[in-house]
Amino acid sequence: MKKILVALLMVSSLTSWAESIKVEVNGMVCSMCAQGIEKKFKKMDVVKSIKVDLDTKVVHIELLENQTLDDEVVRKNIVDSGYNVAKITRE
Amino acid sequence: MLKFLTILSIILSFQVSAHPVIYKDGWVISSFNMDNMNDQQLMYSFTSRLATGFNSYRFSKDGKDTDLVFAKLNYLAWRYNGEKSQANLYLHSGLGLSDHQSKSQGALMYGAEVDWETRELFVGFKHWQYYAPHQFDMPVSMARVGFSPFTVPFDSLQTWFMVQAMYAPLADETVSLTPMLRFFYKNVLWEMGASVKGGWMLNLMVHY
Repeated sequence: MKKILVALLMVSSLTSWAESIKVEVNGMVCSMCAQGIEKKFKKMDVVKSIKVDLDTKVVHIELLENQTLDDEVVRKNIVDSGYNVAKITRE
Repeated sequence: MLKFLTILSIILSFQVSAHPVIYKDGWVISSFNMDNMNDQQLMYSFTSRLATGFNSYRFSKDGKDTDLVFAKLNYLAWRYNGEKSQANLYLHSGLGLSDHQSKSQGALMYGAEVDWETRELFVGFKHWQYYAPHQFDMPVSMARVGFSPFTVPFDSLQTWFMVQAMYAPLADETVSLTPMLRFFYKNVLWEMGASVKGGWMLNLMVHY
């Protein structure tokens, strides 16, 4: 029984993954105005961390393990914050 | 307690001009104060294009005050989101009350505001009209230009040098030119300056 549990744990650790989303955002020139982006994503249960980079105009979103976030949801959060999405890529 | 309330009321009587609409479900409390004009605002953005709330103004001229209180609706009519810049056109409207020369009555306001900014440059212009039947129909116009000498990361203190030109016939200093410093850190913005005639200015704005 113990061996089965250990094996199950090993399999589950091998199959777990955490997705990172990179969102290129247009119009993000003011850090105070872009606080809305951070606020919206931080509220989401699936989001582990978010980093806004004004130099590259990129929002990096790291999700919790085994969680997903649709492009449409990402796009809506950015638009609700007052900006436009140029590109979404995932790693 | 009275001292605390006085300080609080002074802080809340400051008003900042800017950010008439912010992100969806965002609140803005802002205040702006000059020697002979102050303005306070509490707005809630239903969407990233539409905000509603309250705005009060006080203009002082020749030792007499004109007070105005409005329920306001602000609308982001147009926005350009570029790779390195953003431009906006906002429309303002308000319905409320005025108290001018000891007479109270209904009043309205309307206006427009445009701005363009990058991480290093800012240019903005706004014009409001305040109207109280048989009392006054007064404009207030304001232009601002500014630059940031350096860019810093998202979570760092931002510093701007700005100059504001304002035309406000309801105030003692009808035409004012005010160099100022603007700072913001995360969701708090503050500005301080003094007009070329010596009138001081202190502004505060918080998003939440």
